[in-house]
Amino acid sequence: MTARRQPTGRRGTTRPLLFFVSLFCGLCLLALAPPASAADDTAALFAQATLTLKEGRATDAIASYEALADRGVIDPVASYDRGLAYATRVRIGAEVPGDLGRAAHGFEEARDLTRDAKLADDASRALTVVRSEVARRRTRAGQPVEVDPGRSLGRTVAALLGEDTWADLAVGASAILSLGLFARWLASVPRVRVACAVAAGVAAPVLAVSVAMALAARHDRLGLREAVVVTASARPIDDRGIAMPSATPLPEGARVEIIEARGASSLVRFGTVEALLPATSLRDLAR
Amino acid sequence: MRWPRPSGRFLVLLSLLLVPATAQAQGAPQMQTQADVDTVGVGDVVHLELTAQSGDAMPTDPQPGATPGFAVRGQSSSPSQTHININGNRIDRFGLNVDWALQAQRVGVFTVGPPSVLVGTARYASHAVTLRVVASGQAPPRAPPQPQNPMPFPQIPGFTPFDPWRGLFPGADPGGNERGGAVVTTDPKLALDAPAGSFYFLHAAVDATNVVVGQQVTLSVYEYLDEGAGANIEVDAADVRDPSAAELVKHSLLRDDQEATVAGYANVAGRLWKVNLVRRWALFPIHAGDLVIGPMSVTLLRPRNVAGSTRTTDTIHLHVTEPPAAGRPPGYALGDVGHFALETQVAPRDLEQGGAVSVHVELSGSGNVPASITPPARTDVEWLAPEVHEQMGNIGHDVFGGKRTFDYVVRVRRAGEVDLGEMSLPFWEPVLKRYAVARATLGKLEVKAAPAGAPPAAGQAPDEELLAGLPAPRDTLEGTVPSRAHLDDRPLVWLLGVGAWPAALGIAVAGRATGRRLSRAWRTRRASPASELRDRVTAANAACNGDDARACDAAITRALEAAAIAHAGVNVRGAVGDELVHQLEGAGVAGDAATRVAELLRECEAARFAPDSVDVPSARDRWQRAQGAIRQLEKR
Repeated sequence: MTARRQPTGRRGTTRPLLFFVSLFCGLCLLALAPPASAADDTAALFAQATLTLKEGRATDAIASYEALADRGVIDPVASYDRGLAYATRVRIGAEVPGDLGRAAHGFEEARDLTRDAKLADDASRALTVVRSEVARRRTRAGQPVEVDPGRSLGRTVAALLGEDTWADLAVGASAILSLGLFARWLASVPRVRVACAVAAGVAAPVLAVSVAMALAARHDRLGLREAVVVTASARPIDDRGIAMPSATPLPEGARVEIIEARGASSLVRFGTVEALLPATSLRDLAR
Repeated sequence: MRWPRPSGRFLVLLSLLLVPATAQAQGAPQMQTQADVDTVGVGDVVHLELTAQSGDAMPTDPQPGATPGFAVRGQSSSPSQTHININGNRIDRFGLNVDWALQAQRVGVFTVGPPSVLVGTARYASHAVTLRVVASGQAPPRAPPQPQNPMPFPQIPGFTPFDPWRGLFPGADPGGNERGGAVVTTDPKLALDAPAGSFYFLHAAVDATNVVVGQQVTLSVYEYLDEGAGANIEVDAADVRDPSAAELVKHSLLRDDQEATVAGYANVAGRLWKVNLVRRWALFPIHAGDLVIGPMSVTLLRPRNVAGSTRTTDTIHLHVTEPPAAGRPPGYALGDVGHFALETQVAPRDLEQGGAVSVHVELSGSGNVPASITPPARTDVEWLAPEVHEQMGNIGHDVFGGKRTFDYVVRVRRAGEVDLGEMSLPFWEPVLKRYAVARATLGKLEVKAAPAGAPPAAGQAPDEELLAGLPAPRDTLEGTVPSRAHLDDRPLVWLLGVGAWPAALGIAVAGRATGRRLSRAWRTRRASPASELRDRVTAANAACNGDDARACDAAITRALEAAAIAHAGVNVRGAVGDELVHQLEGAGVAGDAATRVAELLRECEAARFAPDSVDVPSARDRWQRAQGAIRQLEKR
């Protein structure tokens, strides 16, 4: 009886085949595997920042929150917590000049960005606390205490309703005005003609106001740049970049409108005052 | 490690006697390797310098060799050429000076090199050097560079073993230029295409034009003096205007009292110019953008033919960007660029609650060393404003740097074990193009509880809480607000929603007005004299076809009146006899035609109002004649 020889050739071809199949599968898995996402990284950084803030390590928390901002994360809670981190550093006595302004910036940004009414209330309350401290310091320094001149009347009115609401109102007023005039023109019954005239008379000013407000809101949304003063004393400068000794410094934490950016300086409006400030003393509000 | 002087002398003698001949015969370059220090601390930079001279070809492709324990941070090469002409025999010498910046990575004794160069197709190696690396901050201080004459023959100025011919010719200056024209040594790096002025001009150069915010830019300003002019050149010292660099922080790399140093000789447009270094600044951009370094200008006093003329440098433009956001470590402050190290000392480690400790922080390195650092603030740990000392300046090889020390007083208000955390300073390394973080751990403190009833420590005011009433932090992100389209961003909303209604109303009103205008025009056209005449003729025809002679006459009368209006423009209704004739003739109607019309009208009038009945044929006859009269009026 002769022993049958195993077909070694078959075994020899199977191993490379298995190897290549395994390699192919591995490559496929690698290709299909989700990459380390930036979202995970952001979440981890935010968690670290929150933890350090709760532990009272304000500087570490600030570094993490600023790293989030550097990575382009625009979130009302991140802005709010960043403001709190700066405020905490002031509160624990490790204040770095500009901390109050940066705290105000975080709260302003959170208030603008959030859709959460509770967060907006908290940010407003924190903003009041910070600006009160700024006002207190300016009082001691003999400087004007006005830190928040508020918005202009036009912007205040425009902010009463949303931009889309103003646009809807404009469309409705336009329709009512036109239909009223049309009906008054065609109608022969005096009572109907009077009703149509009244409707058109009311719709006309509503149309004018709503169109103006919608356009103003749209202009602000597309073109308005606002910033917060983040230096302890933002003294206006002249065109050569030299601080004007007679000018009153703008208060830290003040919200200003950037009219024009000129390289290393920016022309800003604070209430009724227009001043040229070093760009480094401002921090833009995210929109 | 400095080159040992005795060995150097020996080598000089040896090279003076042997090397030129061997160099010419074999083509092997003369090479020398040395380091500026032999002991450095971790993180410090040591410069390894290789000098190679060849008579055959320019040495190229320098390699530092093995660098265990060190990281190569940079390399700069400066080639040179010397052409010697003695009695018509020309000898060429090609030189290459290479400087490697090596940064110590770990403690130990390391053999670095040997560095090598390529001459022609063959690579030649020099010798290795041994360097000792100690812990950071424990290296002996570097001796300031002393202007020494390394040559064994001080009576021969500028003698060097790598250029043995130099100095053998009395009268030759150290730069290698001889007035007799035998020796000319120029530095290709200083060469320019054309001079920017006669006798004297200035030239400014920077080592880099594309940098990041906070990265050192070395500005050098050279003065070029025409050696061949033989003129006495004098500059008005009271009218020297330095370059302006408003958007850059400026530090001089030369001493304030330092005279202009000879940088070498240059061949500019075929003439020999002596080049002096008059300014060397380390400039640090403070923001991104296209920044400008203004020109430097001087006014010449001599030679007299150019007295009063100014010489200025060109304006230099820098393109400054921010370091990449990707990989930026938390806490990085824009402008922190260079290579830094932190060391800290905390004393004492044990204290009572409310007491204070001293924290000494030393920040050292090269580049834009930050003027302040942020301590790791924590609750119940108060960092008072630090006392800052600095030793900044040129730390060698035109690199600005040094160290700053920050002495803090830290008050601790909490008992127990208090961890101060660590000092950290993220920075951008421009050579390696990456972020790094300098760290130093501060360690923990043992704080004993203050005895009960003890007064609060100085500066502690428990009743006055700063920023009281702050709300609590949130720990869940709200999420990015999705960018949505607004209603008023669509032009159709304005066109159809707002504008269409008034437009429709306007169209309706305008349409109705137009319709009225068209209707009026139509009616006006229908009421014209010609149409009236046609109607009257038709009516007369119809009447004459009937049986009523009176109606027939009435129709004839109206037809004639309409014809007078249509063709003569005269309303003859009510006119009789001669008055009618005069009216028609006044309108240009021929006399017989006018008389005929008047006669017909009179006949019709008589027939219509006659008491007897009128026969229809006579009425038809009148109509026949009336038609003839109408045609006469028409032909008028």
